[in-house]
Amino acid sequence: MKHSQDLNEDVGEILLSEDQIRIKVVELGKRISADYAGRELTLVSVLKGSLPFMADLMRQIDLPLRIDLMEVSSYGGTATESSGLVRILKDLSAPIDDRDVLLVEDIIDTGLTLNYLIRYLRGKNPRSIKVCALLDKPARRLVEIPIDYVGFEIPDAFVVGYGLDFGEVYRNLRFVGVLRPEAYES
Amino acid sequence: MSEAGTPRDHKAGNAFAHASEAEFARILDFYQVAWEYEPQVFPILWDLDGNVLESFAPDFFLPDLELLIELTTLQQRLVRKKNRKVRRLRELYPNLRIKLFYARDFRALMLKYGRSALVSELSGTLGQVGPRHYAEPGPEGSSAAGPTAVGRQLDLSTGPADAAIDPRASHDRRSRGARRRAVRRAAAAYAPNSTAT
Repeated sequence: MKHSQDLNEDVGEILLSEDQIRIKVVELGKRISADYAGRELTLVSVLKGSLPFMADLMRQIDLPLRIDLMEVSSYGGTATESSGLVRILKDLSAPIDDRDVLLVEDIIDTGLTLNYLIRYLRGKNPRSIKVCALLDKPARRLVEIPIDYVGFEIPDAFVVGYGLDFGEVYRNLRFVGVLRPEAYES
Repeated sequence: MSEAGTPRDHKAGNAFAHASEAEFARILDFYQVAWEYEPQVFPILWDLDGNVLESFAPDFFLPDLELLIELTTLQQRLVRKKNRKVRRLRELYPNLRIKLFYARDFRALMLKYGRSALVSELSGTLGQVGPRHYAEPGPEGSSAAGPTAVGRQLDLSTGPADAAIDPRASHDRRSRGARRRAVRRAAAAYAPNSTAT
């Protein structure tokens, strides 16, 4: 892939500004704090895209909480890889049995990864599992999964920034923007 | 085409009709979503005597999600016929959940997985099978070669409404409306009871 030296040049439109995101994260933090009042929460972030969201969200939750990180392989390799299965590249570092778990995702589109993760985490016997996603792209949904906390419902566009990448680039943009087709069509 | 209301028999060696379907099946396998390939044919149009004039076999059934998926990689302007079939299916079998996966959806999926370079060869007429595209054996029973191992079939052929969705219904002396109602009752018997986990 080819990207500009100034990553902003590859963004056709800013979908969510830094301010919009910040306000929404505060709002989500308040809701989560209220819903889980009196309980201890484990936030599970799915690497790598949800890292900025997780970092901001956890500081807006006024509860005793633990954080943990997971990473799973994504489809898209060679023919050999494509005959395989999704793999856990990084598992939880602590047990979650009998704990309230909030899975923190950057974006839900097809729901395939989330569906897999929820099934996997349920096998670890948490008291509850809920999902918090900054972005929801329902137009692409294949697997219908209830998302308990949604930041923004977004249109069907290829978005980058605030953790979201294309070819591992653009994650460090402070906003969420729509990538220009020229940036991914070669 | 297999009989209406009965599961299609995809034995080992059968293949996908289109390369995009094989790719889609591989994605489902990767994420361990059980699937069946064209497991069911639904009659969607009858003549006045009750003979089935037109049927529709959606490409995939995901039994755990109770979802049918029809995949098309034709250009948007060419999908009117498929849109009509899906609309008709929804009218006749309102309890079925079906999603039409368009070329733009497939393109987005390929882009997401870094396989956009393959889109053109897997899409439209280029993706139509000359030599058959065979899926590699999938996990946990999922396989293009045999949908038999995963989940349950969309069983619309049980119970008293059998005749209504069987081609033999053409010999049924009931009125067309009565037959349609019977088909709807049969479809209603298939009541999705949950969404995805």
